[in-house]
Parts: sequence; structure tokens; C-alpha cells
Amino acid sequence: MKQVLIILLVDDNPADVDLARVALQKNLNRIRVESVGDGEAALAFLNHSGIHAEKPRPDLVILDLNLPKKDGRAVLAEVKTDTDLRTIPIVVFSTSRSMSDIGRSYELGANCYVSKPGNLNDYLSTVQSIERFWLGSASLPRKET
Amino acid sequence: MTDIKDASLLTPEPNKIRVLHVEDNEMDAELVAQALRKGGFSFSVAVVQTEAEFEQQLRLQSPDVVIADYNLPQWKGMEALDVLRRAGLDVPLILVSGALGDITAVECIKRGATDYVLKDGLARLPESIRRALDERRQLRLRRLAEEDLARKNEELARSNADLEQFAYVASHDLQEPLRMVAAYTQLLAERYQGRLDADADKFIGYAREGALRMQALVLDLLAFSRVGRCGATCGRVDCNAAVEEVLLSLGPAMQASGAVVTHAALPVVWADRSQMTQVFQNLIGNAIKFHGKEPPAISVQAEKAGEQWMFSVSDNGIGIAPEYAENIFVVFQRLHTRTEYPGNGIGLAVCKKIIEHCGGKIWVDAQAGHGSIFKFTLPAAAPIQEGCARS
Amino acid sequence: MSSEELDILLVEDSPEDVDLALHTLEREKLANHIFVVRDGAEALDFIFCHGAFTHRSFEHPPKLVLLDLKLPKVDGMEVLKRIKSDPRTKTIPVVIMTSSKEERDLVASYNLGANSYIQKPVDFDQFRETVKTVGLYWLVINQPPVMEDQQHLAGLAHDRH
Repeated sequence: MKQVLIILLVDDNPADVDLARVALQKNLNRIRVESVGDGEAALAFLNHSGIHAEKPRPDLVILDLNLPKKDGRAVLAEVKTDTDLRTIPIVVFSTSRSMSDIGRSYELGANCYVSKPGNLNDYLSTVQSIERFWLGSASLPRKET
Repeated sequence: MTDIKDASLLTPEPNKIRVLHVEDNEMDAELVAQALRKGGFSFSVAVVQTEAEFEQQLRLQSPDVVIADYNLPQWKGMEALDVLRRAGLDVPLILVSGALGDITAVECIKRGATDYVLKDGLARLPESIRRALDERRQLRLRRLAEEDLARKNEELARSNADLEQFAYVASHDLQEPLRMVAAYTQLLAERYQGRLDADADKFIGYAREGALRMQALVLDLLAFSRVGRCGATCGRVDCNAAVEEVLLSLGPAMQASGAVVTHAALPVVWADRSQMTQVFQNLIGNAIKFHGKEPPAISVQAEKAGEQWMFSVSDNGIGIAPEYAENIFVVFQRLHTRTEYPGNGIGLAVCKKIIEHCGGKIWVDAQAGHGSIFKFTLPAAAPIQEGCARS
Repeated sequence: MSSEELDILLVEDSPEDVDLALHTLEREKLANHIFVVRDGAEALDFIFCHGAFTHRSFEHPPKLVLLDLKLPKVDGMEVLKRIKSDPRTKTIPVVIMTSSKEERDLVASYNLGANSYIQKPVDFDQFRETVKTVGLYWLVINQPPVMEDQQHLAGLAHDRH
């Protein structure tokens, strides 16, 4: 895969966004990390609207659940019912370990659910595992342009 | 002791009493009054003949005692009891009668009369009244004490619930900012080690250790606060399976220390599955952690003792000095510094809370330097009452 | 097979691929309980608790379904469609593992709700690596939707520092 793959991080905690960037920094030759801080911005990004008009379509979305404006569940619901957007894999990445959050996310069409570890090394390696699986082993729908 | 707000109970004056006398015969009424005077009472008396008069007197003033002639032409003395009951008054009623067969007497007392006295045995009347008043006083005192106790229990239960909820919310909400501090102090340490001055390295190190310890503490507090009443989730727990599960999760620690854990055939008990697993995890984990020079050799046994099972977890570790045998079950109580052995000192407190909630006891046979045997009791498989037995 | 916790339902008709996958998963200690079915009809019976699998229950789904597309009797795409359109089964993670390189199979799968899509490497070693990565990601890192009565086990795992 010669093209650069794009990960959209949706998380309202800039500290967690930075941690994810740290985790992925070794791979910046083949991936690019974009981030937004709330659910509305996430949808605008995916729909190329407003200030995100020029933004590329992500190959993978890593989505936190508790977001301001629209929360992660609403984003999931909207994206996974959109005929154009629903083939984009969405990894829910959240500190919540509650069974109802996990179950609900799958109901709404999340591709998978990963708990944010409390320990730094585990956090970094988990983000790397997410990247390695989705952008390394899995096959993703090809994008135009 | 009881808060006594009723002044009459504090300084009883059995001599000054209010008597309500149901009697239609002036002579008989006077005889009763004489008997009371002879008995040393100072009293006020109202004499009534009909139900209407009786009710009227009750409305004016609540008597301390009712004396009633059993056989009145218009109205039976016993019916005064019904009036009293209807009015919700708990006043002793003493029947006075010419002749009363034993059966009738017992009937009257069964129906609620306090006592009966024969008309030619009025000398007994004062004593009968004294006894009745005394009984009533005792009853009232006891009832006040019970109400007080119930109220205090309710307050205690509510305060406990508040505390548990507080511990849960605090530790749950603390985890997020703690995660930030722990992660970024570690990143700082990794990225800037040796690049700032020596003090910076040391300061970052302290901050990092503090954060990691806080994280562990919060997780422990969370676990501790979750040990509530087990009622709903109690069931049959196969202790063999629980121990096997624990050994699986302690795998790395066992390998690192060369620990060998054996267990005899363990019974099925009535408890909460995840809490039992926690107990074994803490006890076996401790046994592995606090080892001496030799690799830990740990054994888990159980023997039946009446309606309970007594479990023991013995090890060959550093042991515990007998004077600390009770102390170690206190929350956050530690016997060693953190550099000697890691941990927050909550594991045994959690075990104690769990075991005691199930109606059991936990203790240690302690000997410094010779290993320890931790013992605990649990009810056997069939519950004595619903949920776990209350102590 | 009792209706206890099942890690993987492997739907694969090629015996060599089955052997290799099982061997890899067991050696890497990624999965304890794996059930293999060899065609789409059996897969549907298993998931929907029919036929030979009436003892199974919807309360104990597999944590992961590895689904090949080219299957006898009922093809993989149809199996995927049925699983993902039934509310009782749609939250089961289904990962397509196929030798197909057709873009339209890929798009169709994601459209139907496949959780992921893996193209089976032709190379022996790469195949094993892929199985290992898939097992690791979906059984260790991923949190599958869990039924009520298994919650105490999850709680235990999370409380350890």
C-alpha cells in the first residue's frame, strides 16, 4: 500500500489525542492522523462540510464515546446508517467498561470496541495494535482519488 | 441509653394517681377509695356509671388506672376495655367483683383486663395497681428504647450507604485525571531523562511514583467500596474452580517467584462467586508476595466444622509478628515499607469485609519468620436464611 | 458441545486452512474453545440454534466468527447477511477471511455489516501470522458484547493492577 492511510481520532481529551499520536509516530511515513474534539465536528469531517470541506475521507475512525455536542453513540448511529459512510471501520475506544456501553456500541454498528488502558505502556501498545490490525492486516475499501 | 423525654417515666410518683372508677354503688365506691387510702396512694378519683359518662371522663383527662365493677346493671365493666381500645388508650383495667369464677376471671384477663380483685379482698387492690402501673412503665421504657435503636440502625445503614457510594463515585471519577497524570509523568520521564538537570529527573520520578501509587489506591478503594451486601448475587460457589481461576491469573507472579500452590479438594459454599475469587486472589497473592529466601510453598485446605467450612491458606513466607495479627486486617494498614514489598494494604481489609458480610470470620495464626496460616469460616452450601447469614 | 463460552466459530471448508488456523490459534494460546463448521448451512444452524444445534442458546454466542465467503450449500455472503440482519445475532463480531481479492466482495461485506475483512495470504507463514494477528486483535484487544451472567468474570479481569 503506497498511499498514505488516514486515521480520524474523535476524542475531546487533547491529552489522549496526543498519547495516540505518540503511539503512532513511528508510522507517520504511511499514516496521517487527523483529530476532532466533538461529535458534530466528526460528522462535519466525514461529510466534508464547513471548515472540513477539503478534508480527505478517513480509512479508519477511532471514536471515543463521551463527547460534547454530539456524543459517540450519535456519531455511530449516523455514520453506520449512511449508505456512503458506513463502510468506514469505526473502532470505539473508550474508558468505559460498562457492559451496556459495549453492547450499545455493537448494536449501533461499531466494528469493534477497545477499552482505553489505564497504564501508559498498555495504552500505547493498544493504539499500535489497533493501527497494525486495521491498516496492516485488514483489507479496507479502496477510495477514489 | 435511652433518651427519656417523658418526664413521668423519669420520676415516677406511684402515689399520685388518677383513678377512673366504674361503679354504680356509692358504698362500694367508698370501700375502694378507703382501700386506696390505706394502701398509701394519694389519688384523684372520678366515678362513672354509664358508657357515656366514662367516655366523657376520658375526654377530660386520661386516667392512670381504671377500676371497674364487673357486674353493672346498665353496662358491663369489661366493656370499658373496648372503649379504651377504641380511644387508643393503653390504660390498665382492674376488675372488682363480688364473686368471679376462675374461668370467667381467666377469660377476662385473656380479653385484656390487667387483674381482678374480689370485693371482700380489697386489701389486695393497692398492690395490684402498683404492679399494673409498674408493668406499664417497663413496657413504655422498652418501647422507647426499641424505637431509638431502630432509628439509630436506620441512620447507620444510611450513613454506610452514603459512604459506600462516596467511595465508589470518588474512586470512579478520580481514575480519569489520574490516568492523565500517570501517563504524562511517565512520558516526561522517558523522553527527558538525562536531558534536564539531575533534580528534574528526581522530581519527575517522585511525581510518577506518586501517580502510580494513587492509581493503585483508587482501584483498591473501588474494589473495597464494591464489597456490599451480597444477598442478590449469592449462590453455590465451587471453591476448586475459584482457586483454579485465581492461579491462572497469578501465573506470571507464580512463575517469577517459583511458587508452588497446592489445594486439597475444596467444598462448595454459599457465597458470591466474584467475591470468593477475590478472597482467594488476595490471600494466595499475599502468600506469593511475602516470601522469604525460599520459593513460596502455599497450601489451601478446608475442613468441615459443624455447619461451617473452615478454610486455611498456609505459606512458608516471612510470617507476621503476633502483636500485628489483628492490625493487618485494617484498611491501608501495612507492616512493611513500600520498598520492601509493594502494595496498598487493602487486600486483607477487603477479605475481612467480604467474609464478615457472609457471616464468617477471618484471622491469622501468626508467627514471625515462620510463615503464616490465614483461616476463615463460611457457611456451608445451603443458606440458613435468604442471602448470606447475618452475624 | 455444551453451550458454554465459545471463543471462535470457524466457518471454513478447506481442510488445510482449518488445520493451519486451529494449530496457530492453539499454539499461540489465543483461544480455548473453537468450533468448526464446513458449510454455510451448518454455520446458520449453529448461530441460529437450529438443526443439530438446538441445545445452543442465543445467550452464549461465539466471541468471534471467522467466515470464509466461498462455502458449499449456503455461501458466506448470505450467512453474513442473515447474521447481521437478525437483532438476536447482529452484534456477534464477524470477520470475513477469504481468498477473494474482488473489491466488490470487500465493499459488499462491509456494507452488510462485517466487522472486518481479511484477505487470506497465499504464503504459509504469512497466513499463520495473519491468523495470529486476527486472534490477538479480536480475542484479546477487542471487547465482544457480553451477556449478563458473564459480567463477573470481566469485572475480575479489570480490577487487577
